[in-house]
Amino acid sequence: MRRLLLQPLLTATLILIATTPISGLVLQGYSFSFHWQSPLFLAAAAFVLHLGLILGRIWSRNQFRPVAALRLQKGAWATGPEWRRAMSLLLPAIGLALPFFLDKYGLTVAILALIYVLLALGLNIVVGLAGLLDMGFVAFYAVGAYGYALGHHYLGLGFWTALPMAALLAAGCGLLLGFPVLRMHGDYLAIVTLGFGEIIRLILNNWMDFTGGPNGVQVDFPTFMGLEFSRRAKEGGVPIHEFLGIAYSSNIRNIFIYLVLFLVVLLVLALVTRLKYMPLGRTWEALREDEIACRSLGINHVVVKLSAFAMGAMIGGVGGVFFAASQGFVNPTSFTFFESALVLAIVVLGGLGSIPGVVIAAIVLTILPELLRDFSGYRILVFGLAMVAMMIWRPQGLIRPQRRIFLTGRH
Amino acid sequence: MKKLMFHGMILLAWMVSASPLAVAGDAIPIGVAGPMTGAYAAFGEQLWRGAEQAAKDINAAGGVNGKKIELFKGDDACEPKQAVAVANQLVERHGIKVVIGHFCSSSTIPASEVYADAGVMQITPGSTNPMVTERNIPTLFRTCGRDNQQGSVGADFVVNKLKAKSVAIVHDKDTYGQGLADAMRDALHRLGRKEVLYEGLTRGEKDFNALVTKFKSVNADVVYFGGLHNEAGPLIHQMKDQGLKATLVSGDGIVSQDFVIAAGGPAYAEGVHMTFGRDPRKIKEGEEVVARMRKAGYEPEGYTLYSYATMQAIAAAITATNSIDGSTLARWLHAHDVPTVMGIKGWDAKGDLKVSDYVMYRWNGQGSYEEVPQP
Amino acid sequence: MIVGMAPEIVVQQAINGLVLGATYGLIAVGYTMVYGIIGMINFAHGEIYMVSAYLTAIFIATFQFFGLAYLPALLAAVLAATVLITALYGWFVERIAYRPLRQSTRLAPLITAIGVSLILQSYVRLSQGARSQGIPSLLQGSFTLNIGPHGGMIHITHVQFFIIVIAFLSMALLTFLMLKTPMGRACRATEQDLVMASLLGIPTDRAISTVFVIGAAMAAVAGVLVSLNYGSFDFHIGFITGIKAFTAAVLGGIGSLPGAMLGGLILGLAESFFSGFVNSDYKDVFAFSLLVLVLIFRPSGLLGQPQVAKV
Repeated sequence: MRRLLLQPLLTATLILIATTPISGLVLQGYSFSFHWQSPLFLAAAAFVLHLGLILGRIWSRNQFRPVAALRLQKGAWATGPEWRRAMSLLLPAIGLALPFFLDKYGLTVAILALIYVLLALGLNIVVGLAGLLDMGFVAFYAVGAYGYALGHHYLGLGFWTALPMAALLAAGCGLLLGFPVLRMHGDYLAIVTLGFGEIIRLILNNWMDFTGGPNGVQVDFPTFMGLEFSRRAKEGGVPIHEFLGIAYSSNIRNIFIYLVLFLVVLLVLALVTRLKYMPLGRTWEALREDEIACRSLGINHVVVKLSAFAMGAMIGGVGGVFFAASQGFVNPTSFTFFESALVLAIVVLGGLGSIPGVVIAAIVLTILPELLRDFSGYRILVFGLAMVAMMIWRPQGLIRPQRRIFLTGRH
Repeated sequence: MKKLMFHGMILLAWMVSASPLAVAGDAIPIGVAGPMTGAYAAFGEQLWRGAEQAAKDINAAGGVNGKKIELFKGDDACEPKQAVAVANQLVERHGIKVVIGHFCSSSTIPASEVYADAGVMQITPGSTNPMVTERNIPTLFRTCGRDNQQGSVGADFVVNKLKAKSVAIVHDKDTYGQGLADAMRDALHRLGRKEVLYEGLTRGEKDFNALVTKFKSVNADVVYFGGLHNEAGPLIHQMKDQGLKATLVSGDGIVSQDFVIAAGGPAYAEGVHMTFGRDPRKIKEGEEVVARMRKAGYEPEGYTLYSYATMQAIAAAITATNSIDGSTLARWLHAHDVPTVMGIKGWDAKGDLKVSDYVMYRWNGQGSYEEVPQP
Repeated sequence: MIVGMAPEIVVQQAINGLVLGATYGLIAVGYTMVYGIIGMINFAHGEIYMVSAYLTAIFIATFQFFGLAYLPALLAAVLAATVLITALYGWFVERIAYRPLRQSTRLAPLITAIGVSLILQSYVRLSQGARSQGIPSLLQGSFTLNIGPHGGMIHITHVQFFIIVIAFLSMALLTFLMLKTPMGRACRATEQDLVMASLLGIPTDRAISTVFVIGAAMAAVAGVLVSLNYGSFDFHIGFITGIKAFTAAVLGGIGSLPGAMLGGLILGLAESFFSGFVNSDYKDVFAFSLLVLVLIFRPSGLLGQPQVAKV
């Protein structure tokens, strides 16, 4: 019993010492004011938390848990073909119906969530499957967004032409980044990609004449078969609400973007799922596990790594195009390192390499901060706490990727 | 897996069903948006304090046509993405009909599309970038000046008063800062001068020693800075540490006590010049409000009274038209002048103030600023 | 480009670069040591530095309030207190975000580190407010030297002088600690082979904690010096400085102590010369390009040992 209380007491004392200056002594210009409650509160919270953790550990030690049996049963059930088929029909249906039940704010958030799904799927190829730690993924996102914005500004490209072109441009950038970093591993790769992301953002910010610098670029909203989504069409155009004979609502445009984006997400999902079981995907994973073994087996690591970079970059670029289209305005502040970190967090929290996990994590991590918007001051704090707690609680992510086993002799 | 899906669904369902907050029948919902968190939270606080005080005073006097004003705070942290999200949230969830904000021009511009689309009238008390009103949105106004006006006053002062021979221009590579620096450069060119240096520094950094030495190498006798106090403070500190005699001139981005703190004390801030609208605290109409806010322990510096005046203009428009429709209110504001704590204000067709008077101020050795006497 | 510049300008830029580089180097030590011992990037390290900047201001205000006016004593007390409390923060970060994840994938601690930096940032913002804070200028005055044919002046402020002296003193102390003491030996053994070290009875957990504490302490030294030098800070200075310091650590060869200092100095000089003589807009682009170039030709940094892949 004494030992039980001793440890938490020690923690609380240390917390008290550490937090007294920062949260207890608050700077007022060059002097300070003393708030004795807050460090005491933090220390008390630490005491309760630590005690709870210890009690929890004791309690769980005394519990009998048939872990293995449960997991086997669950696994067998979860991968059942009926369940899989039902979900693969049900989820897209829900997704397609969703925008008609959301208000404009809800739609904005939903579109943002889908964009993050795309980004996370792209990064998942690079980090999750190929095992290349890319901390500057935002670069490709920026290339996609600016590709559309500048293509529209200078060349008059529409959304539908810009989409494939920006995707190719981003893939090209992926190759460009891929070449110099072929020899690098782990954290050297991380810092170089991080640097690459920053370089792209800085160039976008500094090249005033071409990119508009911090003022950003205005983007036209997409059209659908020549129909426009604005209240009044430009010369010669027809607004879609007049064409359909319904009242104008600014929601129509967002619903349209959402639907197109949703279809693209489905397409990418299908592509990525297939790729995982195709030779290329298998090679990515093999290279992640052991590069030397792969190379000695005659696998061309250059092609494999570059294809992963290009593939991931392309999907990131598509995400960027949709971001530009839904915001109507891009400027470099949207492409900071924080975005890269966020997407990386999504991939890791979802479970490296697990596609459903990544999708769920992307949706949760976009919606969570929005739900917390009303607690504005504590938003980032809760977000950070959730990240730490999640990693300690489930370090392998939400869903541990399962390797599909191909059984022979069964048809 | 299934359990997780289930939780995801619940979360989604919650999102969907989170219906707009019911707006009480006898309240007028008004949004106040700005950087409430982040590096520029000092300005967000100014907007909020001013609007809050005004709403309190108006409500205490019986409200607007018998209805109380209800304020909703929106935090954009000075990021365009968040600005759009928060604008949507204010419009859709809180049902606001008028918004005071945003502060950073780079947030005001994308957010204004949302407000314009929803027919919400927007008045920004602090976005001075010309682009804000140049896009001719009929329901968008501002109660502050424009950077090109600031630039002209600045350039005139630098050339005619300080008799500067070589002017270096630096900015913080942000919409506001660079816009101001560009305005300064254009105004200088109009006066037949050319700057000796035009460069950007990185927001968030503190070491500008290399740039300061560069000022020395081009013999700058005036340094014009387009940006906010967070960077202006260390800049002047390092200029003085390196023994540079050049005068630092800046715009309304350093109008905050925080500038003195960031510079390292009044001794460092002394002698820095800046352009700002005639000090609203010295205008007769506002004396009583200023006294009241000071008594409550808040110094209404910077944009606080701009925000207060904005709220008064909104209240006046709603009282006169008895409507909360954005375009009706906007039409009325375009046509009528409004008495505020900052004197009588009127707007032109673009939504800019008809009269805006930028004045040169100088920080003194006591950590406050005073107007530079006109010749 | 440097040719034709007045010599005093070139020397002044070199001094600017050295001062900046010394602070990068001090912070880079934290990255490099943590990486050396557990092979992970401690992304929260920049925030530890940010916390120490706040602690500096708070302790200056507190000690002055209690009547400590004699400047050297005040500075020493502030330095000691800041280093102590910051080290405690470093210890907490390891205990909460790294130790529970010792057995998990390599990326999990990266995510907790990002989480911890968000927590530290919001913690400081919520307690101290979002406005930028500052400390009064305690040390004023500078050394001036006349050089060059036209008698050009260069300025080294007393604080800048202190930064360089203290940076090298603390690097020397650290090197001594790591090479000559039992604690340092334990750390180095853990660094070489964690499992083997623990089999041989070395308390590896404690060694790892020690490394975090030392890293935080060095960041605190940097925090005190930088705050004295620039006089102002806010709750998100940790990010940019952290990234620069990390770049310095990788440039010098991550895992190598002299490499961290060397990388810091090179990065500081590069930034200073580039923005002084070319263009400050593209200063950071240049810094990162330099990093990429160095890594292409020396994939494990300037002083790093190349990893030998065993089959």
